[in-house]
Amino acid sequence: MRALRATGAAVLMAGGVIAGWAVPAAAAEDTGLLRLAHLSPDTPAVDVYVDSVADPAARITLTGVDYGTVSEYQDVPTGAYTVSMRPTGADPDTPPVLSTIVEVSGDSARTVAGVGLFASLGLEIIDDSLATPPSGQARIRVLAGASNAQTVDVATVDGTTVASGLPFATTSDYVDVPAGATTLRVSAGGEPPTELPVDVAAGAVYSLVVLDSDGSGLSVRPVLDAASPGIVPAGGVETGAGGTAGGDLPVGVIAAALASGGAALALGLRSRRGRMRYGAHSR
Amino acid sequence: MRRAFLTASAALGLVLSLPGAQVTNPVAPAASSAPVPDSPRRVTLADAGPPGAIAAPVRVHIPSIGVDSALLRLGVDDAGALLPPDDFGQAGWFPAGPVPGDIGPAVIAGHVDSFAGPAVFFRLRELADGDEVRVDRADGTTIRFTVTATHRYPKDEFPTEDVYGPTPRAELRLITCGGDFDRSARSYRDNVVVYASRV
Repeated sequence: MRALRATGAAVLMAGGVIAGWAVPAAAAEDTGLLRLAHLSPDTPAVDVYVDSVADPAARITLTGVDYGTVSEYQDVPTGAYTVSMRPTGADPDTPPVLSTIVEVSGDSARTVAGVGLFASLGLEIIDDSLATPPSGQARIRVLAGASNAQTVDVATVDGTTVASGLPFATTSDYVDVPAGATTLRVSAGGEPPTELPVDVAAGAVYSLVVLDSDGSGLSVRPVLDAASPGIVPAGGVETGAGGTAGGDLPVGVIAAALASGGAALALGLRSRRGRMRYGAHSR
Repeated sequence: MRRAFLTASAALGLVLSLPGAQVTNPVAPAASSAPVPDSPRRVTLADAGPPGAIAAPVRVHIPSIGVDSALLRLGVDDAGALLPPDDFGQAGWFPAGPVPGDIGPAVIAGHVDSFAGPAVFFRLRELADGDEVRVDRADGTTIRFTVTATHRYPKDEFPTEDVYGPTPRAELRLITCGGDFDRSARSYRDNVVVYASRV
């Protein structure tokens, strides 16, 4: 697996992929993206199996996935998948602790997360945003994975609410916030907030993963879900001058030929043949 | 990428940096303005990993079509359109977007032809699924991509969301012109876009 650390993304890697698809190059509409998250504070590390319903031979395995892990995305062909969790090291033929079916559609991204305390552990299917934030804005949401906080509040200092009273084991909607320097105010269930000066990139999409830490503490892990140019160019690009286009003479050449008589016309024709030969040769 | 800076006042002041974000003032905690809780709950930032070396791309190689070009820098014009390289022989990278190898769609454009003949991306349209594209970065690393799709679109129906929309992984977009040349407008009617994903 390719490490995300090169980009500084705060993503803990799962233990490793034992087996996966060698996904051939395919159109975006034929594949979707799937990742896994372990957000259950008292659940030990697990092995996660992702099996294609349509193709039993196709399996992705993530081993030793522990609390706080958000895996990298995996490219998977569209279709239905069974996601199962077993204690780390358990025989894959034994019944899973938990399993669910997730439908992967084209050109989409989903996170399958183990959420809640072990006694009520669930697998949540979360839709991740791949849409471009409005110009000059970033998109942020909260994954509440800290049992130390019955609810969590996250807002920007300028008053934009990202999550309000978000219960443990749930996910907020994405909220668009102005890109650049801002301050997040994070608090657990009505307590005074802690202020977090941050700088968010325009065009980027983040999940703030809130986790248990240090006894009663909270840990905030920012994960970059997706990124796009901070400035989105408008329309197409003028990347050709026509020198290999062949076809009809440029208007200018014809006009020049008509104005200057036969010699110019002959020159124009020669240059036209030259272009055509060049084009044919280059193909 | 910037590390998290824990301030001296651990109970109150902490600074977190988001991936891909620029921390402009990482040592200016907001602690002075924060309310002081009676029994402060310790809130910490998970280690965001080592500072990311965001090294600019310097060269693009596409072996299957014989491209080996230094990379210029591209901007946008007053109307917001991406400006092509000012050299027919060299491709250009759009630095307002992701660095090739970082999360998101990095954009490289080049001319298909000059006034006289083929230009750097003359054969871009020939790229097929699985072809390799390599980008050298200033830190000496080389990022490898594999082509996943090659499409041609009328410029007036350019699929902005597909080309520039957010991606959760490192991808690359190679753009040039194609289709018929409109001599009155001195412009090709179409753009050719090659989509590639980091290997």
